[in-house]
Amino acid sequence: MGLHTENKLPANAPSGKRGLWRKRVKDNKFAYMLMVPTIIFMMLVHLLPMLQGIWMSFLKLNQFTLVKYLKAPFVGMDNYIGLLFNSDNPVRQGLNFAIRNTAIYAVIVTIGVMIMGLMMAMLLNRDFPGRGIARTAMLLPWVIPSYVVGVLWGFMWQQNGIINYFLVDVLHLFNDKPFWLLGPNTIWAIIIPTIWRGWPFLMVIFLAGLQTIPEDIYEAATIDGANKLRQFWNITLPMLKPVIAVQLLFQIINNVYSYNIVSTMFGNGAGYPGEWGDLLMTALTRQSFGYWAFGSGSAASMMLMFVMLMVVGVWYRVFRSELNAQ
Amino acid sequence: MKKTAVSISALLMAFSLAVSGCGGNNNSSNSSNNGGEQKGSNATTATAAPSTKPVTLNAWVMPNSPKPDADFLQTLDPYLKEHPNVTVKVTVLDWGSAWTKITTAATSGEGPDILQLGSTWVPAIASMGGIDKVTDKVADVGGAEAFLPAIWNTTSIAGDSEVYGIPWFVDARAIYYRTDVFKQAGVNTETAFKDWDSFKSALEAVNGQTVDGKKIAALGLPGKNDWNVVHNIFPWIWAAGGDVLSEDNKNVVFNEEKGLEGVMFYTGLANEGLVEKSSLEKNSSQIESDFGDGKSAVIISGPWLAKNFATPKANGGMDDKKAAKNFAVAPLPAGPGGQATFVGGSELTVFSGSKNKEATWEVIKYLTSDEAQKAYAQVSGQLPAKLSLLESPDLDANMKAFSEATKYGRTYPAIPQWGPTETALQKHFANVWDIVAGVKGKYSKESIKEELDSAASEVKAIINQ
Repeated sequence: MGLHTENKLPANAPSGKRGLWRKRVKDNKFAYMLMVPTIIFMMLVHLLPMLQGIWMSFLKLNQFTLVKYLKAPFVGMDNYIGLLFNSDNPVRQGLNFAIRNTAIYAVIVTIGVMIMGLMMAMLLNRDFPGRGIARTAMLLPWVIPSYVVGVLWGFMWQQNGIINYFLVDVLHLFNDKPFWLLGPNTIWAIIIPTIWRGWPFLMVIFLAGLQTIPEDIYEAATIDGANKLRQFWNITLPMLKPVIAVQLLFQIINNVYSYNIVSTMFGNGAGYPGEWGDLLMTALTRQSFGYWAFGSGSAASMMLMFVMLMVVGVWYRVFRSELNAQ
Repeated sequence: MKKTAVSISALLMAFSLAVSGCGGNNNSSNSSNNGGEQKGSNATTATAAPSTKPVTLNAWVMPNSPKPDADFLQTLDPYLKEHPNVTVKVTVLDWGSAWTKITTAATSGEGPDILQLGSTWVPAIASMGGIDKVTDKVADVGGAEAFLPAIWNTTSIAGDSEVYGIPWFVDARAIYYRTDVFKQAGVNTETAFKDWDSFKSALEAVNGQTVDGKKIAALGLPGKNDWNVVHNIFPWIWAAGGDVLSEDNKNVVFNEEKGLEGVMFYTGLANEGLVEKSSLEKNSSQIESDFGDGKSAVIISGPWLAKNFATPKANGGMDDKKAAKNFAVAPLPAGPGGQATFVGGSELTVFSGSKNKEATWEVIKYLTSDEAQKAYAQVSGQLPAKLSLLESPDLDANMKAFSEATKYGRTYPAIPQWGPTETALQKHFANVWDIVAGVKGKYSKESIKEELDSAASEVKAIINQ
């Protein structure tokens, strides 16, 4: 990754001087050669489709012009203007619900998986009999394909399903069995399975991170009289910060672009998850591909990409020092 | 050391992306390669006869029957025996990804020769130029009069006389009811399904009957989490005297008084306690298995369910259920505007990029012959598309009921924009079910009207684009 190669350079090298720069390129010739295949593949699978997407966002591309595909009529910024200023634009219908839900969903899922993952990693970082088995068992939710997660939880959330059985018949938390797949509760019906499936991955990452923290720092802290909580705040968290930073970004991107679980939980992707279950990706898929408004759909995707780039920019500013630290 | 952790996470990330990237389901299978079914592989390995030039035709079909590729080839077997120079290769598309594959094929010109299309897709693909006109060949297959009028309507684009597809098979929606429960409740099944009033009082009579120690709900119906949301609601709008669009397909009319009345009657059944509310979360196949399990006394479904009840459990059927021996089929009750039901089905089309159009047409001609229509209806559990066969005395009692239902069958307007229209309707009808379930405001004529109105304005934007 980009971050990695950057780290290879001396941190305080004056990059402005051309001669020095040329020498460094020469010295690292082998590294560049190794990168060539990756760059070619990245161009093929990332850059070309992206350029195509950008081009499509300037075309009037719908079912009648689809045959012409990239030669469809050029309409300039019309798709963008329609999205921003025309409230009748099909791609805009229900988009405000999707934006609200995606924001709630991405924040709760990201925080949820990070906390769950960190807690479990710290638990498993201790030495106890059966630790290997526990680690493997906890990875199970992550191994299950998201399609299966969606279908299984879809059954469990039913009004007469196992979740209501526990909540109402066993724990008596509610008087009546609530609907989870209809109405406002839908947001929980998608958040909880996503966290359930997502945290084991974070656990593995954090576990790897925890194991890089030298034991003697904790020993020294114990001698100095720091309690466990103090040790967590002053040693564990700061030492894990680079890992947390990378994972935070990865989780935010992943959750904003989340699609699978919602789409499989609600009627084979044909269904509409409702005003409280619709995410940006399910909404954009339905309102652009479902409506065959490919030009507007590409424009909407481009705008989302722009917003996400800004998120990445903010993230980079916040965590720059951790990422560049040696 | 931190660097190690970061690079480990980067590696895992890359791995997880690679894993999650393999989510697509690609169900295409080539029967000549799998050779699972004896007859199938015989057919595909048929080689050239000296008399005519050998041709290989590619066919794209949907999973219409339990073994889609083998069943298709078995139906074609007599034709292939007679024409040893013809080889047919079958690719089975699943309904979920078929649309993307077909539009891609239409755009690139690279595709099959014989293409099955859902009846509502024909106008759209025709307007993209993906399939050929067959107007001048219609006489070959017996002319328009030979087919069920409702399905024939969908072979052209509305307002245009060109024909683009030949109906292959049809399905209709009708009522399945538990004969034992109706008997126990003392309901006369001769009159119960006559009109809306008799239907409702029959449901009230069977509601809560105890069968094998368990209370049974009168009606099972899927709410919004279903792929048939639109097909479930429109029969009631039609029966109330409403329609989707005006005659000229320029105005939206389903939200007018009559349409609203139909929606209110159908959703009212759920609102008045004749439906177990939890069924509003389920989809059609869950409702069908609930009916099989004796949770409801009445459901509305298509001919495939009767086939399912006749299929042994070992083959994935439900023949062991009590409902399988105690059910009958009846037409949907007449509303103030008469009787109506939704008729769907599939058509056979000639792909515009095909290089063997004549041979393709010959195969389509064979598939619409009486012999092949009968054979395919048998394996697929669907109804033949030809009137002479729909009226044939050979049909069993259940299929007769469905064939009866097709007589007042209705289809959606054959406009190229039907796909997007259905997507919009699906979304707003889903909100209607939220209102019925009591999780989105109060159920009233006003709140339903409001939702239908917003559906209408979205549909209007689509058809006028």
